[in-house]
Amino acid sequence: MADLVIDARGLSCPMPIVKAKKGIDSLQKGQKLELIATDKGSVNDVQAWAKQAGHEVLSVEEKNGEYHFRIKKG
Amino acid sequence: MAVSNIPVITTKELHEKIASGKPIFILDVRNEDEYANWKIEGKHVASINVPYFAFVEEDESIWESIPNDVKDIVVVCAKGGASEFVAEQLRKRGYNAVSLEGGMLAWSQFYQPELVAFDENLKLYQVNRLAKGCLSYVLISEGEALIVDPSRHIDVYLELVQKEGAVIRHIADTHVHADHISGGPELAKRTGATYYLPSSDVQDGTVSFEPLENHSQIRMGKVIVEVLAIPTPGHTPGSTSLLVNKKHLLSGDTIFVGGLGRPDLGGKAKEWAQMLYDTVFTTIANLSDDVYVLPAHYADVQEINERGIVGAPLGDIRRSNEIMRTQDREAFTETVAASAQSEKPPNFETIVDINRGLKEVTADEANELELGPNRCAVHHSTPNV
Repeated sequence: MADLVIDARGLSCPMPIVKAKKGIDSLQKGQKLELIATDKGSVNDVQAWAKQAGHEVLSVEEKNGEYHFRIKKG
Repeated sequence: MAVSNIPVITTKELHEKIASGKPIFILDVRNEDEYANWKIEGKHVASINVPYFAFVEEDESIWESIPNDVKDIVVVCAKGGASEFVAEQLRKRGYNAVSLEGGMLAWSQFYQPELVAFDENLKLYQVNRLAKGCLSYVLISEGEALIVDPSRHIDVYLELVQKEGAVIRHIADTHVHADHISGGPELAKRTGATYYLPSSDVQDGTVSFEPLENHSQIRMGKVIVEVLAIPTPGHTPGSTSLLVNKKHLLSGDTIFVGGLGRPDLGGKAKEWAQMLYDTVFTTIANLSDDVYVLPAHYADVQEINERGIVGAPLGDIRRSNEIMRTQDREAFTETVAASAQSEKPPNFETIVDINRGLKEVTADEANELELGPNRCAVHHSTPNV
C-alpha cells in the first residue's frame, strides 16, 4: 500500500512531476507514493526525475491509458 | 496548466531569428536522452540541456549551468508546458526568457518555403522541414503544380499553391521514404492529382499510385516543363531523380550536398551499394557540373546556404565529396556499406509500411513515429550526430 496517492490524471507536463514532488516532500524516507497520470510523456519524465532526486521507482503500470507509478522516497 | 502570462515565441518567429544570423541561446528542458537524440540546431544557435525536473526540485546548482552573460533565453520542451514553467523561474531571476510555443512537437511540424528559381516558365520552391532536415519541392508552371516528396502536413503545399493561384496536377515521391510519412496519398486524394511512385519500392504495398518508371517525363503547364525521370537506385532499388529542364536535379535521397544516401535500410547494404556505384558512375556521370542538385534531405544545418536553400552545383558536390570520386568499385562499396553500422532512422520499418499502404496510423501516432532526426545520409554515421 502506498502512503500517499497523487492523482495527476488529465494534467500535462510539467504538472505530474510538480505534484509528485510536492507529495513526496510530505513523506518520510522509505515511504511510498503512488502517482497516477495520463500524460504519456510522464513515463520517461517520472523515472528521470526520480533518479535525479534520489527516489526509487518501484513499478510502472499502464492500465487503460493511465500510468500508475509506485515511488519510494529516498 | 494554469493560464500563464509567460511570453512565448512561435516556431515561425524562432526560425526567423535563427535565419537572421543573430546568436540564440536555447535552454532545452527535456530529458537528457531526448536532447542527445534530437535538438534545435542552427549556425548561431547555442543550447544547453537542463531537464525541467531540476527546476521542479529547486536545485540551486542548476543556476550555475546557465551562463551569466546570457540575457535572452528561449526555453524549449516536448510540448510547451514545462518550458513555460521554467521560463517563469528564469524571469523571476531576471532573465529575458520566452517559451517555445508547442515545443519540439510544433518544431517538428514547421515548414519554411524558399524560392529556389523562377523564370517565365517555372517557379521552383524548396520547402524545408527544419526539425527533420526533410526537403520537398513545389514546381509551378502556367497555373499547374507538381509536388515532389511532400511531407504529411499537406496544408503547407495546398496553401502555397493556392497563393500562387495554381492547382496541383502531379505529385511524386522519389522513393518510398523511411524517415517520414509521405503526404503524397493524402494530397492526391484531396486534389485528384496523379501520385507517382517507383513500383519496385512499393513491392506488395497497397498504396494507390502511378508507376513513376512508366513515364520518361511529366509535363505540366502550357509551356512544357520537362521533368525527366532518371532511375538512380542505391538508397532504395526504386530511387528516382527528377531532372527539371536539364537544370535542377531533384535527387531524392540518392545524392546529398554532403554525401550519398545510405543503402542499408532494406537490409541488403552491399547489394544496394553496388547499385549506388552504378548510379554515381554511369547515370549521374553524364550530367554536367552545372546541374543544380536539390536533395530530399540534409544532415547538418551548415548545408543551408546564405539564401536559405539546401542545394549545390553537381560539380561542387563532386569536388567536395571523396566518395563521388571513389572510382574503385570495391572501395566505394566498402565505404558506403559501412554506413549500415550507424544508427537507423527512428521507427523506419513502420514508416516504410505506412508509405507502402500496409499500415494506417492516427495523427497522434504519426507525430510519435516521426519525432527525432532524419538519418538517411551516409555521412550521418559521423559520431557527432
